[in-house]
Amino acid sequence: MKKALKGIVFVLILCMLVEGISVILLPLDKVKKYGLYKTSAYEIVAEEEDSVDVIFLGDSLVYSSISPMEIWDGYGYTCYDCAQPAQIMPYAYDYLEVAIESQHPKMVFIEANIMFRDPDKLPFYKKIAYRIENYVPIVKYHSNWKKYFTKNKNSWLNVNKGYIYITGVKPSKKDPLNYMDINDENEAYILPENRECFDDMIKLCEENDIKLVLLAVPSQKSWSRSKYNMVKEYAAEKNVDFIDFNIDHDLGIDWSTETKDRGNHLNYWGARKVSDYLGSYMEETGILTDHREDEKYKSWNTAYGIYKNNLKKR
Amino acid sequence: MSFFNPVFAFVFVPLVVVIYNLFPKKLRAFILLAISLLFFAFISKWLILYLVLSIVSIYMSGIGMQKLEEKKKEVLKTVEKDEKKAVKESYKKKRKFVLVLCIIFNVAFLFMFKYFNFFAVNLNLLMNYFKVGHQITIVKHIAPIGISFYTLEALSYVLDIYYGKIEADKNIFRVALYLAFFPQLLEGPIARYQDTANSLYEGNKVTFESFTWGYQRILYGFAKKLIIADRLNIIVKSVFEDWGRYNGFTIFVGIMSYTIMLYMEFSGTIDIVIGIGEMFGVKVPENFRQPFFAKNVSDFWTRWHISLGLWFKDYIFYPVSLSKSMKSLTGKAKKRLGNHYGPLVSGSVALLCVWLLNGLWHGAGWHYIFFGLYHFFMILMGNIFEPSVAKACEKLKIDRKKKGYRIFQSIKTTLLVFFGELFFRAPSMAVAFAMIARMFDAVSFSMSELMTFGMDSRDYVVLMLGMVGMFIMSVVREKGIDVRENISRKNIWIRWAIYYGLILLLLIFGAYGQGYVPVDPIYADF
Repeated sequence: MKKALKGIVFVLILCMLVEGISVILLPLDKVKKYGLYKTSAYEIVAEEEDSVDVIFLGDSLVYSSISPMEIWDGYGYTCYDCAQPAQIMPYAYDYLEVAIESQHPKMVFIEANIMFRDPDKLPFYKKIAYRIENYVPIVKYHSNWKKYFTKNKNSWLNVNKGYIYITGVKPSKKDPLNYMDINDENEAYILPENRECFDDMIKLCEENDIKLVLLAVPSQKSWSRSKYNMVKEYAAEKNVDFIDFNIDHDLGIDWSTETKDRGNHLNYWGARKVSDYLGSYMEETGILTDHREDEKYKSWNTAYGIYKNNLKKR
Repeated sequence: MSFFNPVFAFVFVPLVVVIYNLFPKKLRAFILLAISLLFFAFISKWLILYLVLSIVSIYMSGIGMQKLEEKKKEVLKTVEKDEKKAVKESYKKKRKFVLVLCIIFNVAFLFMFKYFNFFAVNLNLLMNYFKVGHQITIVKHIAPIGISFYTLEALSYVLDIYYGKIEADKNIFRVALYLAFFPQLLEGPIARYQDTANSLYEGNKVTFESFTWGYQRILYGFAKKLIIADRLNIIVKSVFEDWGRYNGFTIFVGIMSYTIMLYMEFSGTIDIVIGIGEMFGVKVPENFRQPFFAKNVSDFWTRWHISLGLWFKDYIFYPVSLSKSMKSLTGKAKKRLGNHYGPLVSGSVALLCVWLLNGLWHGAGWHYIFFGLYHFFMILMGNIFEPSVAKACEKLKIDRKKKGYRIFQSIKTTLLVFFGELFFRAPSMAVAFAMIARMFDAVSFSMSELMTFGMDSRDYVVLMLGMVGMFIMSVVREKGIDVRENISRKNIWIRWAIYYGLILLLLIFGAYGQGYVPVDPIYADF
């Protein structure tokens, strides 16, 4: 009994130490304002308030295919990838809800692949791992210790703005022309709970005067003609723009050099093409302002400098 | 599957401990065996069949040899003195037949999974060269996890019975547990039956003390991997994947980093295995003993992957060097070459067998064979020149026992090993030689390239501090001091402060998450 008690005390003190250190690895003012969990789970919270124009929601297809810094460089719009691995619609909704607490985005893009993911099929251990990761931020943000050893005043900046930089190449073996038809083994279907969640998102965006856009980034494995047909019809029904890079818009992706994993995700070179197209689409809408010369957005230029420098290093 | 996966170390292992402790002592060995087999099946699916076949084959062969031995004793009691020799010979042959059959059976699986394609490719090349129309079909296999490790354990069991070192176990579950104990499946160490079988089968309760004691060792393994190996992996990957881009100094750093990374990853894994063993009251043999303090290449291999070295020593080196033909060769060589070089001849033949097999054990490829031959050559040179070096040192009045000379020996050995391991890591021998050539061609001491790998100066500082820490630990262990034992004697607050410090160091300075690529379990592929 005494030993069990000793073990419990040891673990309790360890938990306190881990949580204490977690706080100092995150921006303290944000932790004070939004709490440890939100600051940890939703990276956008660390951004300066009311500074982000565009939010991208979705799974790994988003953080591998859209680089906000490329859009900043080309068009001067501030974008953020609010993406999570295997994100499900309810998590995307939660993210959007938290994001608009501190930001007033004018556009929100949802990568449509998450509409086909069954929220109930997310394994329970992944849900637990997701919770633990955010309640124990030290695991996710442990590298932030480096910020205490830098002269850079903007050291808390997430320079990639949610994008994950990948240069690896694993060429695809699929036919670049008809991969959409090959993937049509099962008929695509949007679950009622995802439709419901999407309706809630539309409502949230309308209330906050946000333009909602559905998006399908190039992916030879995750996307198919039947998904395309389904989303196209659904977007028309909901009166939402739908941008598809697999059938409607050919970005000229070279599947032998611009994918990191045989056609599922793009690498940096593919992401540049997607980001550039999205920048031009945003420009066409005419609802965003170029902030590159704006003194208020100086930190974005600083972040871009670091981003570019990091690219050179690799 | 890596033992460094937190789910394995901090969820699976405690879960196994809880389940194991829930059962009465009598049943615990069966629970541990069931868990081990499930663990194997989880990784290798239906290939578990091969592990089961190995277990059954060594069990039956052991029993067979034991029965023959018992029968021999009975027969010897009944025969006349002059017939005894013939009876002994006859039973020896029968036992040998059982042994050889068992060895062939087990080695055949290993050959089929690991070496068939290598031999087929090379035979096809030969047949092409001699314009033979036939070609051997290459078959793609996925090998059962840890087949190289458990096959050597299986062979040691039957060989030890044959040599009379142990008696055959009549309990197949104990034999199965010896071969299948889950922490040892991935990367060894290659334990002997007498090391672990009995303690595994005893079903000792995992106590609070054994649990925490084991976890201390596990954390030490994690520190090696997460703080050092995973950072070095960034350097190794960059240099080995694009070595043509870098100057000589950077290539040398890459080569050096690989050996240190290999040590940290492999010995870190063994720390986890030993830690789990300690929880269950099992003394898994140590596999490393400060290898970088070795005075020569031969000494290095008594400190690095010790269990493999001992296996080759006991089951290849001694049987070959003590065989009748080698004994007669030694006798003849002694007459011609004297007492030092004479025995060296037969010893060298045995050594060549050991290192050829050692190279092949690591993988089916010419660079692995070269890796083996390189070490054979280095050890042979060491043996040949030992008298000359001793004489030269005497003339130059160099005390070989002094610290300065020992440090020189360690540095020299470590450098030789770095280049040996280069052949181990490089995708081919041609690349390894090209890297060495580039190292000397593009001589430059510019360190700026080191900053292009994606590791910043702060990462390098952590890496250096981590290595200094490990070096201090090695010095302490070399002096025979047991650090854990010493810590356990301190008062609770000092002890806990050390544990908390280590856990937090790992969590904060570990090279995991975004921007880092963990080292794959290197030895699990062998």
